[in-house]
Amino acid sequence: MRLRLRFSKIGKVRFVGHRDVARIIERGLRRCGVPVTYSEGFSPRVRLSFGLALPTCYESEAEYLDIPLDPESVVDGDVVCTGWREGTTNSIEQLRTALNEALPTGFEVVTLVIEPKVGPSLQESIISCTWRFDIRGGNLELVQRAIVAALESSTVEADRKKKNEILRENIRDGIYDLRADGTSELGPIVVAELSAKPRVIRPSELVEVLAPGSELGVARRTHQWIEREGARYEPLALNNSRTIKDLA
Amino acid sequence: MTSLWPRLEPLLPRVEKPARYIGCEDGARTDIYKPEATSWLLTYPDTYEIGLPNQGLQILYELLNERPDAFAERSYAPWTDLEAEMRRARLPLFSVDTHRPAAEFDIIAFNLSAELVYTNVLNCIDLAGLRVRASERDDSDPLVGAGGHCAYNPEPLADFVDFFVMGDGEEVISEITDIVGAWRVTGKPSGSRDTVLHALARIDGVYVPSMYNVVYDGPKLVSVEPRHSDVPPIIQKRTVADLADWPYPRNQLVPLTEVVHDRLNVEVFRGCTRGCRFCQAGMITRPVRERPASQIREMVSKGLERTGYDEVSLTSLSTADFSDIEKVVSDTIDEPGTCGRVSIALPSLRVDAFTVGVAAQVSRARRTGLTFAPEAGSWRMRQIINKLITEDDLYGAVRSAYSQGWHRMKLYFLTGLPSEMDDDTLGIAELVQNCVEIGQEYTKKASVTVSLGGFVPKPHTPFQWFGQNEPEELQRKVDLLRSKVRRNKRIQLKWHSPGASTAEGITSRGDRRIGRAIEYVWRRGGVFQEWSEHFDLALWQEAMNASGLSLEWYVHRHREEDEVLPWDHIHAGLHKDFLWQDWQDALAGYGLEDCRWTPCYDCGACTEYGIEHVVASPAPPNGGSQGTGQDLATGHLVPVELRPRAGIGGT
Repeated sequence: MRLRLRFSKIGKVRFVGHRDVARIIERGLRRCGVPVTYSEGFSPRVRLSFGLALPTCYESEAEYLDIPLDPESVVDGDVVCTGWREGTTNSIEQLRTALNEALPTGFEVVTLVIEPKVGPSLQESIISCTWRFDIRGGNLELVQRAIVAALESSTVEADRKKKNEILRENIRDGIYDLRADGTSELGPIVVAELSAKPRVIRPSELVEVLAPGSELGVARRTHQWIEREGARYEPLALNNSRTIKDLA
Repeated sequence: MTSLWPRLEPLLPRVEKPARYIGCEDGARTDIYKPEATSWLLTYPDTYEIGLPNQGLQILYELLNERPDAFAERSYAPWTDLEAEMRRARLPLFSVDTHRPAAEFDIIAFNLSAELVYTNVLNCIDLAGLRVRASERDDSDPLVGAGGHCAYNPEPLADFVDFFVMGDGEEVISEITDIVGAWRVTGKPSGSRDTVLHALARIDGVYVPSMYNVVYDGPKLVSVEPRHSDVPPIIQKRTVADLADWPYPRNQLVPLTEVVHDRLNVEVFRGCTRGCRFCQAGMITRPVRERPASQIREMVSKGLERTGYDEVSLTSLSTADFSDIEKVVSDTIDEPGTCGRVSIALPSLRVDAFTVGVAAQVSRARRTGLTFAPEAGSWRMRQIINKLITEDDLYGAVRSAYSQGWHRMKLYFLTGLPSEMDDDTLGIAELVQNCVEIGQEYTKKASVTVSLGGFVPKPHTPFQWFGQNEPEELQRKVDLLRSKVRRNKRIQLKWHSPGASTAEGITSRGDRRIGRAIEYVWRRGGVFQEWSEHFDLALWQEAMNASGLSLEWYVHRHREEDEVLPWDHIHAGLHKDFLWQDWQDALAGYGLEDCRWTPCYDCGACTEYGIEHVVASPAPPNGGSQGTGQDLATGHLVPVELRPRAGIGGT
């Protein structure tokens, strides 16, 4: 069995890097007594399997994490806790509350399920992500024009830093959706669905295309998408009753 | 209250490790701002990763935030990339808790853990928007304070810092808050700064450099004397008598980004009386004050449960000396909440107290790195420095570790010690090779990392009169050892830069005039001097020349018995004649026992202040006077002499 979480990362904590997020979550799981499993070897670590790594400085309302559980500790859909919570049994909702108390402000578990371990890993199955970002100092009209031009063209050239060199690549095939969506106090807001395969395309690569000389404001991942039988799904959809608190 | 966050946020995507600057730690207080309260900005003048775990700073942070009429926030030196962005955007130094500007606090207080951070202190004062020289600051500017081990020679920073605190801060911080609070309610009118500093100077343990006149005779220091009759001529350190009264930090900060010592840290005792003659910490923090084992257990289990850490460090200057350490370790591992998955770090292990029993307990959990500090390569040298561990003690500890499953360990050594000869340096190679051979009896992977530091004599130690080796001589010794161990692939040799040791020497035993050199280095961009990528000895040499100061005078010459030392007006309890006698005993090769288990020899640390050791066990670990029972009265057949200053080559 595994626990699959969807969590958000909003506000100051957007500056925390991916590896640090893993450590934060590990501590949170330990505080809540989640019956995690450990890797083998000289220095066993908690098994955690994330969706696509979120770049440092980006916010998200759609982070995913699979946590393999000790199968014997799942009883009637509830979790029998260990460690510091030995002797307590938590429903899914209780566990969500406990995790949110244990995680730092800015991280929020929005939904979670316990399910059998089947199918490919999150990382393998994510095909694209939807992003919402603003462009600091951009001009809405010019951005809109650039979007139209990009979508009409078969090539969109963008620079990408790779180690010590800068690669220029055509990313047009990786742009599934691109539109302007009003303005924030920083500048025009753009919504984009960008491919995750063969490589992840980041909003920062689009800024130079849409508003040369401007800077990425705050970017937020709003969705990660997987494909099943030709249709597009989120690994965990949000309940209608639950909306993400905007902490920014 | 002003938050600089909206201005800082756009800069962060441009810098390395932006999570250093966001705060948000578990345990951080963001709700404590009170417009009428006395506010402290506790500042660690190095990076966040180095500064965050600092226990002293965290203890004071909690104590101040418990007071209804005060609050404290924290700040760390911004790395050079953010500093450049901040200066471009005219953004001042800020607290990480609420991102308030530093200049809005009543007190900016620095933790001085190492001398090479002094230029960062100046940089932080400047980034706060204040004049770096204390005499040029305005009445309403924040007071700049400093404490920590390096404050025991405050003179090099005397021109920049308004007040220093000597010793344990738990009690004195409250007294300072009262005085500054009273000043605060007057609105800090013109001319009042001198009055509040005068009041601070009358608190036990507080030194206000501007209340003292310094008299020189050529290069010689003649005196440091109070300018007022009600200001004490000698500043006495503060010591908390019983650690049991101070179970802090109760809520250790848990950072969101990885820092050094990223684990639960529980201080098991303070002070050390092993009497190693090179060790400033062991001299100035006497006597030994153990925390009750039951309190340690509670702090460990509550701390682990609250933080979610799976590693705990039992900290002190020599943790294996704690009474019945084996029991403390096994209780920690047996704490049910950890499911047996907790690792225990024991920093600063004495080899004569690290037994198979302790090794076996520690290795029941995940094994942490092991570090031993024999400090010198020969018994002769270890007698001189009073690190009275025999080769067999070391081999016994190493065998305990390898037999309990460790594959590697780290050994610390010093070079450039008084009267050191090449045979002593080469003795390190022999010791280490023997350790590796012991390891190979247990595992094919056995290896040893040797860390070699250049010895910098420190104030308030018996070696304070010793002339430090020149960087060339230190480098020669490093090379000597390197050539000896290079072929052995199981030995990794790391060494501290001899140039950095020289700069540390300038700042460690300098007088007030050294402030000119520190300011010179800072003005030419010499920050983060502890970081090799930023360190440049040439800049320090240039600074000394430009300030008309001599490296030979401040660093390399041997001091005279009757010489006035720049820190003579600061008292750590230790009688100066005790230290001089211990220096003479060192040169004669006489050892000195640990007074926690043997009769008092009146160094002054207890008798001066009417306090005593708090030690649960009347017997040393592993038996014997220093744990080994060797005859300490042997000494050398012929007293050794110091290496003559002119020659290089080790006599």
